[in-house]
Amino acid sequence: MHRRNNYKQILTQKSMRKRGQTAVFIIVAVVIVVLGILIYLLYPKISTVFGMDAEPNSFMKTCVEPTVKEGVELLSKQGGYLNPEGYVLHNGNMVKYLCYISSYYVPCYVQQPMIRAHFEQELEQMIQNKADECAGDLKEYYEDRGYDVSGGTNAEASVSVVPNRINIVVNIPMTLTKDTTQRFEDFKFSIPSKLYSLLMTALSIIDFESTYGDSETTLYMQYYPDLKIRKTKLIDGSTVYTVGDVNSEESFTFASRSLAWPPGYGFGG
Amino acid sequence: MLPEVWPGRRGMGLEGKMIKQKINWIALVFLGIILFSVVNVNALGETVGTQDVTVCCEKTNSGLYCQDVPEEDCSDGSEFALPTSCASTTPCNPGYCYDSVEGTCLDNVPQMICTDEGGTWSAEKPGACNLGCCILGDQASFATLVRCKRLSNFYSLETNWNSGIANEVMCILAARSDEKGACVFEHEFETTCKLTTRSECTADVGAGSVVGDTTEEIDDDEGGDEGEEVLESPEGCQEVNTDGSVKFCPGMLCSAEELETNCGPSRETSCLAGREEVYFVDTCGNPANIYDGGKINNDEYWSYIKDKSESCSPDQGNANSQSCGNCNYLLGSYCSVVNSETASPTYGESICKDLNCPASEETGGEKRLHGESWCGFDSEKDFTFQETSQDASTDVLNEALSNLNAGGSAPLEFFDEREVPVGSKFYRYLCSHGEVLVEPCADFRNEECIENNVAGYSEAACRVNRWQTCTSIYKKADCENTDRVDCIWLAGIEYVILGGVFGEEGGSTIDKSSLGNVKAELKKFKSGDREMGSCVPRNPPGLQFWGAEDENGEVQNDEATAFCAQANAVCPVTYEKGLIGGDWECIENCECLETMVHLKRAQLCMSLGDCGPKMNIAGQLGRGKGYKIFEEDL
Repeated sequence: MHRRNNYKQILTQKSMRKRGQTAVFIIVAVVIVVLGILIYLLYPKISTVFGMDAEPNSFMKTCVEPTVKEGVELLSKQGGYLNPEGYVLHNGNMVKYLCYISSYYVPCYVQQPMIRAHFEQELEQMIQNKADECAGDLKEYYEDRGYDVSGGTNAEASVSVVPNRINIVVNIPMTLTKDTTQRFEDFKFSIPSKLYSLLMTALSIIDFESTYGDSETTLYMQYYPDLKIRKTKLIDGSTVYTVGDVNSEESFTFASRSLAWPPGYGFGG
Repeated sequence: MLPEVWPGRRGMGLEGKMIKQKINWIALVFLGIILFSVVNVNALGETVGTQDVTVCCEKTNSGLYCQDVPEEDCSDGSEFALPTSCASTTPCNPGYCYDSVEGTCLDNVPQMICTDEGGTWSAEKPGACNLGCCILGDQASFATLVRCKRLSNFYSLETNWNSGIANEVMCILAARSDEKGACVFEHEFETTCKLTTRSECTADVGAGSVVGDTTEEIDDDEGGDEGEEVLESPEGCQEVNTDGSVKFCPGMLCSAEELETNCGPSRETSCLAGREEVYFVDTCGNPANIYDGGKINNDEYWSYIKDKSESCSPDQGNANSQSCGNCNYLLGSYCSVVNSETASPTYGESICKDLNCPASEETGGEKRLHGESWCGFDSEKDFTFQETSQDASTDVLNEALSNLNAGGSAPLEFFDEREVPVGSKFYRYLCSHGEVLVEPCADFRNEECIENNVAGYSEAACRVNRWQTCTSIYKKADCENTDRVDCIWLAGIEYVILGGVFGEEGGSTIDKSSLGNVKAELKKFKSGDREMGSCVPRNPPGLQFWGAEDENGEVQNDEATAFCAQANAVCPVTYEKGLIGGDWECIENCECLETMVHLKRAQLCMSLGDCGPKMNIAGQLGRGKGYKIFEEDL
């Protein structure tokens, strides 16, 4: 009986120890997760805490990239315009008319023949402030680390949309001096993106709309298996196109009003 | 034919009786019903009607350029508002806009917009816009020369542009005709290989080449089951440069053992740009033949390039097949990296993804292939248009007549003339990557959906509904000429349209001049210019249902009123009465007094468009009766 009690005690103690171990494991796991999240959210500033010197290019990329992605997402929903004029409100988005005609029965006039170039300009303007801010942060970061920093003001962002990626260059001459001197002219990084092919497809659709008054979306699907095109005709004769890439799930939305037909004979205005 | 229909006055003359005559004109007047619907689009672009007086505006209030709009729609900051069409205004003259950076050309671009954006504008198509075949490795693009240069630059290829190939299909075939094979060369003191076309295998092929990608090598003990025999290149390798350090071996793969390169078979697979199939990849990262799990140890399969038709299950889509990567895009499968939606292959991380759409309500209850499209409507409809509407309507008419004679009302189906309710439209459904996309055709049934089904594969398109001229066609053959119009013929006197014969207020009253107009119309029947019947749109169009409200809250819409008034008609009914008493007795056109004729007139009214007692898409009838029949003595 005594032995049995002892055995029970040992079992209970073992069980408690096991529970204690489990609790410790859980706590450690939670701490790791929290640290991970903090590092993710605070990097590159966290690197200062740990005494690491962030590489300037990756500092700039980490700082600017979220703004670039946000900008691309917003511009892609609005036909490549931040504040579009001449748009149709579709699903809560101001979708720019890239081709438009106010009259009935005739094909549209192209409103923006250089879609890619315009998209780049808009994106450059959108990230300009952030690039300045990030340049200031970078300068401050290195000064805090004991570097003598010269330059690093008046950042100039430029964007180029090319096949499979978006290239960003932040031009900001900067010299870092501590033991040695390092000079940076610009910071370059890329974001993987299918935007270029989406913009070129949009341009091709615009070409069809302005020439024939309509476009046949199945043709594109036959030639480009990764492409998905949604076409929605609205009551006023407008058409909203959403050109998407099925793999990256990126999309570009724009509107057109071409070869519109009036209700009845259209005498009613 | 005519005397039977309008016999009154001739009959009187023949019999020469002294009779007192009274002619009752029974006019059936059908007015367009007022619809109550919400315009659910918020477009900030100006639109103009066909009769509006416009100016060519540099910039409109909404920010659009070069638009013909009423002067008040021009922005205050607009540089010009010329009282002419934009097409004949220099700054807005539409022409070709050439982008010298991208090498693209767009037509119908106003001069001002093109130059402001940095393009080169010309009224005629410039030579730089001429298309040719641009070969990009084993891919092709039908593009301008500058575009070809740009694309070649993107992919680090030499520009290969041929203006002699004048169509896209030939261009694609040209790209595929270049012979492929193993390009063997020395790189960093090793004999390595790159799978290329003959033209790409040059003396500098090794420059910047990416070889030695890490892929899982097959163990020696898993060697090929047919590895004993000596393999030879079908045509033998050919030296590319003088010292023989670069060789091109047509039809061979880099993993071929006798090439003695550092590339060998692996278990890896990959999707290639522009290719539908899953491909084996050798240890250098070169693509090999189409993935076939059963041939992973087959030396020959790893040595010679095999055609698609020689690979596994070439006649099937092989969607989600674990052992065969011979995907077929036309049959609804395409190479994809494995994910949660796909099955897992025996080897590698790529598989033929199923792109087809499973049977559902949207697919009409049947499985649809990727790329297949079909028509839809807001109610059940026959898209083959084989039915004759008159036949289809006969049962409904008879039922309506029976109900009315029994003191009841016409069935609801009667008000759903040819199943085209007010507010309805056509849709084109499209199966794309396993999802059904819905593309509405133009509103107001200005487009109809047409569908063609060949061997179970359906293709559909929204096409312009050519209804506009139907009511001005007076002959059956012209009406049913589907090359020109989308109309149907309703035969019989009861369908004859004498619209526009009334003098005033859209045909609500009749006077002496009306009678003259009717006579003029009747002459056309006699001369053969007009046949007995009526030509109406096959798919009645929708009408503008909005307009300003009058003091009674009624929507004033002149166009819809005038449009529906085309179905107005008069029918002269002759009564006679004896000199010495008795009742008036109908002697001519008495059928015009019958309910069936009234119903057919209402049906005709509904056939024109959103007119008459028509039901809307929600299954509701209009506020009023939708038409009226009244008598006037002349």
